Amino acid sequence: MTLVKIDKSNWVGGLTAAADAYRLYGPVKEKDYHQFKALEKDQMPDLDMVNTRLSPKALLFPQSEDMLEYSLDESRDDHHIMKEVEKDYAPRAVVGIRPCDAKSTLLVKLNFDTPDVKDPYWLKAYEATTFIGVACDTPLSTCFCTTAGCGPYNAEGLDILVMERDDDFLAKIFTEKGKAFADIAGWDQSCPEEADAYMNGKQAAEARIVSTIETGNLSETDLLELHTASFWDDIAFSCINCGTCTFSCPTCWCFDIQDEVHGKSGVRMKNWDSCMFPIFTVHTTGHNPRDTKTQRVRQRFMHKLKYFVDKYEAGIMCVGCGRCVSQCPVNIDIRRVCEQMNSFKPADACAVQG
Amino acid sequence: MELMGIEPDRLHFSWISSAESTKFVNVVKEVTEKVKAIGPNTHFIKDTAKVA
Amino acid sequence: MVGYTEKIKEIAGRLLKECTVDMVIGFRKGTMPMMNEPCFATTPEAVDTLVWDSNCGINLANYLTNRKEKVAVVAKGCDSRNIVTHIIENKIKRDQITIIGIPCTGMIDKRRITGLVAGEILDVSETENTIKVRTADAETLFDKAEVLQQNCALCTHRNPVIFDEMVADAIPEQEVTDRYADIRKIEEMDTEGKWQFFDDLLRPCVRCYACRNACPLCYCPTCFVDEAKPQWMGKGQDPMDVRTFHFLRAYHCAVRCTDCGACERACPVGINMRLLTRKLEKDCQEQFGWEAGLSLDRRPALDVYQANDPGAFIK
Repeated sequence: MTLVKIDKSNWVGGLTAAADAYRLYGPVKEKDYHQFKALEKDQMPDLDMVNTRLSPKALLFPQSEDMLEYSLDESRDDHHIMKEVEKDYAPRAVVGIRPCDAKSTLLVKLNFDTPDVKDPYWLKAYEATTFIGVACDTPLSTCFCTTAGCGPYNAEGLDILVMERDDDFLAKIFTEKGKAFADIAGWDQSCPEEADAYMNGKQAAEARIVSTIETGNLSETDLLELHTASFWDDIAFSCINCGTCTFSCPTCWCFDIQDEVHGKSGVRMKNWDSCMFPIFTVHTTGHNPRDTKTQRVRQRFMHKLKYFVDKYEAGIMCVGCGRCVSQCPVNIDIRRVCEQMNSFKPADACAVQG
Repeated sequence: MELMGIEPDRLHFSWISSAESTKFVNVVKEVTEKVKAIGPNTHFIKDTAKVA
Repeated sequence: MVGYTEKIKEIAGRLLKECTVDMVIGFRKGTMPMMNEPCFATTPEAVDTLVWDSNCGINLANYLTNRKEKVAVVAKGCDSRNIVTHIIENKIKRDQITIIGIPCTGMIDKRRITGLVAGEILDVSETENTIKVRTADAETLFDKAEVLQQNCALCTHRNPVIFDEMVADAIPEQEVTDRYADIRKIEEMDTEGKWQFFDDLLRPCVRCYACRNACPLCYCPTCFVDEAKPQWMGKGQDPMDVRTFHFLRAYHCAVRCTDCGACERACPVGINMRLLTRKLEKDCQEQFGWEAGLSLDRRPALDVYQANDPGAFIK
């Protein structure tokens, strides 16, 4: 792990050089918010933001993505053959991703890269991407990353982590991919003497996180007891079952497969889906095991804070980015739900255990 | 529809009874002329989905 | 709207104690500045969490659809008109609901205020006419009139049109000279301009359906976008599909929309989709002289055929 110093002109120069070898993505200002977009030639990522409105998961997992295509047009050589859509997995780099979003890629990877089943679209995009993160020195009051398994200077999921200072950047390079990028960008000014400055920045940022959650009891609490707890009606009442929380969440991964036909050709595509949508669990028979709002809301929080915890033993399926908290139209707050779940005691627990 | 950006001459309404064959012919002719005059529609068309 | 909270608590507590209703639907204070969360109370003790302020923009009529119990609901002017529409459309019975009427002086626009202030907003408080916004570095005072939601600034039905009890005396209605100035501006553009305008407007849409779900009018058991047999339109991000969703939803709300603003407020990416519904509202007013939700006795304009219905466009 190397620490290098990059002064501001080297940052711009380095990214410009890297743009020849990598397709660059970074936060770009749109009206009154930021989104991750492909950077144009000579465009720099705009780091003047705490975080983007929607997470960068769309870079690995586009909201609508073609997978397979076919044509029935017999004048074509490949008629009546369903084939993979050509994709471009040339090397790309995401510059300006926050540590919370970077950690989320690892959580999503647990699902999309298993010994038995792999999602080739997500994996190929992931493997082609180098992640250059920017540490978070001014978190929002809705950020709770430090108690959600990461933190403003967390390294997981990142190839390089950059700390922005007034006149320069300090960058920690963690992986081979990171080193390859730094070499092309010409960021090679090693500065071991700045290690303390980096550490101080990290500690100061972590101290600025004001919002916390407690997750210590989630794995021991009995799943079925939690499932039948009485607080779900109260939590779910205001929910309008839109897809805002799931679409803005960097760790939500559900998708739906749609076939669309146009004349003699067609595609099979995948679209983001949401467990909040009423038809998410509709079977072909028409039966819907989760046809009430309370069941769906309960499922989402149980998935994030209980099922995932039990299944993967890697902490909760949340990185504390706070997007769902600030964007939910009815102000359902995962921090409040987590507190209720974590402090839940089954009704028949005896007073001594409680 | 007009607000959305479809030319007003693309959408026409007419009451025509099944007994009014002449009127039907005239309306069809008129609509065809009007639409041809504004040219092929380039707007509200979906081919295969334009996605990633 | 100072003092409304206490009155709401008093009325709600009494209704529950006397078993007039099984449940009171209102708001409780949210965890974020400028947000309140819809909640329900089923016991007289639980009403202590109820609040009312200028952040109650969500339309609570949305939570009434197909309810079986007797409920009380807190309703401002626009909400009450949606309740009228709900009753006319048989989604709830009049004798099932007890309406706690709120003469409303308007809701503040969360997005607008965030744009006017630098830095993260930590707290927002209010008096009758002033909004105080606190960030880490400063406190800014705004005249409430400057930061109202757009639909509230143009509102001509601040007092509930239907109610069982009011929390305060009726307030004077606003004089609004031109509700549709922005719609007219779009109507004056040329075809290409109009197309581009809506392209830009709808580009950020992520098909989360928050607008549809926040809207009390959107209660179809299966929405047209969720239909599969036949499937009317794609579910992905193709621009034509996104446009179709918004336009078709606006059409389904035509003549019924009360401009409560819940759709715009719910949208996570800040799309101004009221431009579509208000165009239809404008046409409806101009052509049928109809405003939605004002009377339990009259059928909506598009429900009824009348000899003098506008017909000049039919050749």
